[in-house]
Amino acid sequence: MKDKAFGVLQRVGRSFMLPIALLPVAGLLLGIGSSFTNPTTIETYRLTGLIYEGGLLYTILDIMSKTGSVVFDNLPLLFAMGVAIGMAKREKEVAALSGAIAYLIMNASISTLIASHGGVESMAPNSTTTALGITTLQMGVFGGIIVGLGVAALHNRFYKIKLPQVLSFFGGTRFVPIISSLVYLLVGVLMYFVWPIVQGWIASLGNLVLESGYFGTWIYGVIERALIPFGLHHVFYMPFWQTELGGAMVIDGTLVQGAQNIYFAQLASKGTEQFAVSATRFMSGKFPFMIFGLPAAAYAMYRASRPEKRKVVGSLLLSAAITSILTGITEPLEFTFLFVAPIMYAVHCILAGLSFMLMHILNVGVGMTFSGGLIDLTLFGILQGNAKTNWIWIVIVGLGYALIYYLVFYFMITKLNLKTPGREADDEETKLYTRKDVDARKEDRKQGDNVSRLIVSGLGGKDNISDIDCCATRLRITVRDESLVNDALLKESGASGVIHKGKGVQVVYGPHVSVIRSTLEDFLDSPESERTTANHVSEAPRNKEDKKKLSPCTLFAHLTGSVIALSDVKDEAFSAKILGEGVAIVPDEGVLVSPGDGRVEKVFDTKHALNIVTDEGCEILLHIGIDTVKLDGRFFEVHVRDGDKIHKGDKLVTFDIDGIKKAGFDVTTPMVVCNSEDYRQINVTASGKVSAGQKILDIE
Amino acid sequence: MKSFTYVIKDSAGIHARPAGLLSKLAKEFSSEILVEKDKKNVNATRLMMLMGLGIKCGDTVTVTVSGEDEDAALDRIQAFFRENL
Repeated sequence: MKDKAFGVLQRVGRSFMLPIALLPVAGLLLGIGSSFTNPTTIETYRLTGLIYEGGLLYTILDIMSKTGSVVFDNLPLLFAMGVAIGMAKREKEVAALSGAIAYLIMNASISTLIASHGGVESMAPNSTTTALGITTLQMGVFGGIIVGLGVAALHNRFYKIKLPQVLSFFGGTRFVPIISSLVYLLVGVLMYFVWPIVQGWIASLGNLVLESGYFGTWIYGVIERALIPFGLHHVFYMPFWQTELGGAMVIDGTLVQGAQNIYFAQLASKGTEQFAVSATRFMSGKFPFMIFGLPAAAYAMYRASRPEKRKVVGSLLLSAAITSILTGITEPLEFTFLFVAPIMYAVHCILAGLSFMLMHILNVGVGMTFSGGLIDLTLFGILQGNAKTNWIWIVIVGLGYALIYYLVFYFMITKLNLKTPGREADDEETKLYTRKDVDARKEDRKQGDNVSRLIVSGLGGKDNISDIDCCATRLRITVRDESLVNDALLKESGASGVIHKGKGVQVVYGPHVSVIRSTLEDFLDSPESERTTANHVSEAPRNKEDKKKLSPCTLFAHLTGSVIALSDVKDEAFSAKILGEGVAIVPDEGVLVSPGDGRVEKVFDTKHALNIVTDEGCEILLHIGIDTVKLDGRFFEVHVRDGDKIHKGDKLVTFDIDGIKKAGFDVTTPMVVCNSEDYRQINVTASGKVSAGQKILDIE
Repeated sequence: MKSFTYVIKDSAGIHARPAGLLSKLAKEFSSEILVEKDKKNVNATRLMMLMGLGIKCGDTVTVTVSGEDEDAALDRIQAFFRENL
């Protein structure tokens, strides 16, 4: 159980990598752009002549800031889609679409409830936000993750669903967005009632911080880090930064409230001798672990990864580390270990809290625009001078932090065998099939796989299939060699028709085709499909001793009458070739003769059928009439016994055609090769009227 | 190895159609599936052998499944007997 949960977490972690890969770039854009468009920064460094609203440089920086921030603003959506993609087993594009839709639906549902209950004003401050233009609850990345995980679960459960015929157009993958929408409509309603309660708890934690001095600063730091994955940190830190909770101070004659406001007011004031630590204690603590600690943790992860993975892992970790150092945007780095190794994140939170506390104790007064990277440290620490800010302590503590983070993380990763990037047990991409994979797949497969096997055989084997798609009713396949396509096998798989257009083959199944396609793709991914080739032999791939081909032989008409195709026999057991390949004759005379030389294997007690085995090993079922087992022997007279040697044309059974017909039965008599899978192909060589003893089947 | 015993209830016994379905089902599994009647054992994938047992209504058969997917196979085959025979 624990292993299973761990495996799921690992998959979640891996599914995060797609959106995370984007974050370093977005972070740099946002960090640089927003720092230099901050009015206080511009004024303090007398850049007003160079960077001013409407000016070229300002516009460029503003574009950087806005394009970076649009990524972070929509992070929940990226996660809703990214996690759904990562966690979906197959048909990932459908999961992505469903994730996006479910995210919109959930927020729309929340938004409507907010509006109907008095709008944003009636909600707690900082508890709402706008997502894609929808006013909704501030749930951060957490909102996206619950959508992504839930949609993936729904997707994996339903993407192959079969609906009743009238609704079958909506079956399979098309059902996934539908069910996701309905479920997340309800999740939205639930969140509207549950989430504000959680937000309330967080806000009340603020009082605890204020009442506990240095220790309170530590609590602040721990909580702020711990809340990031849930998007709850805004509810928590914003009051400190922006309201009287973070302190109040009269600067240059005006009352300023909130830690960040105080810092920036002091920055703008010419009379500041030292920045108020009572305000910056809610900010300065970020620098040591963002510039020094986390990058060192990234190095530890790099060192702990398997050598063959280092190149790939290195580029991810390096870019994430640079982002953290420069801009103080830590999500790219934190998310690489948050889900695969939550315990590391816990340690990280504690150390982060300590950093805030140390900065408080050491009187460090460095503020920030929004996070603690090198850019902000330079602007608001180093350039302000050590006398005003004590910034040098950030570097000293930071160096210690780098060492601690490196040692702690390296030790934890290797001792606890945490699956940080580059340490995953086995890479899914390499498609090495483990015993477990195969077993899991075997359990999955039901009769759908037989259909897939038939389709693959009919298409000339796996290697012959270059591309599979489907429309409303047809499977559309591109094959490499159209001559290998076998229509009979495809029809046997349930198709109502096969259309050829050069290398394109369309197999018509009906509205449930999307389910067939999904099953087929699953099958093609399984190792078993490798053994399914153009011939039908692989029907029973494991019977190795049977697999050796039997020598070709010819069978002769077992009756005098009219030849019909087995697929036209009015009994599914024959027409669907459940019993094997063969041919049927509608008899004119009631004399069944042997189709070749061999031996009688078994005469059915009900006399209507018998099995014979030819000298070549061909196992034949001769079955007089359809459903005639019910006649219980009436109208039949058998002339041979089990074990008798027989020759081509020997009389086997005589029967009363008229009697059988009068009893209400069809006298069509199929001749079926029961061991069809031992042969490459079985061709009917006669048509129309035949006389008993005429060539009828070519078997090879 | 797993097995179950079943008394055939279908009036026609294991004639061509059910034998065909059973052998087709048996081929889905990698386990070896043996059907035994009166001490005669046949591999369920061998349609002709299966028909050759001449199993009739009221006969008692024992089905033995052994191999990797024996649990799944046993379930499906037992269900098949109950539904069809």
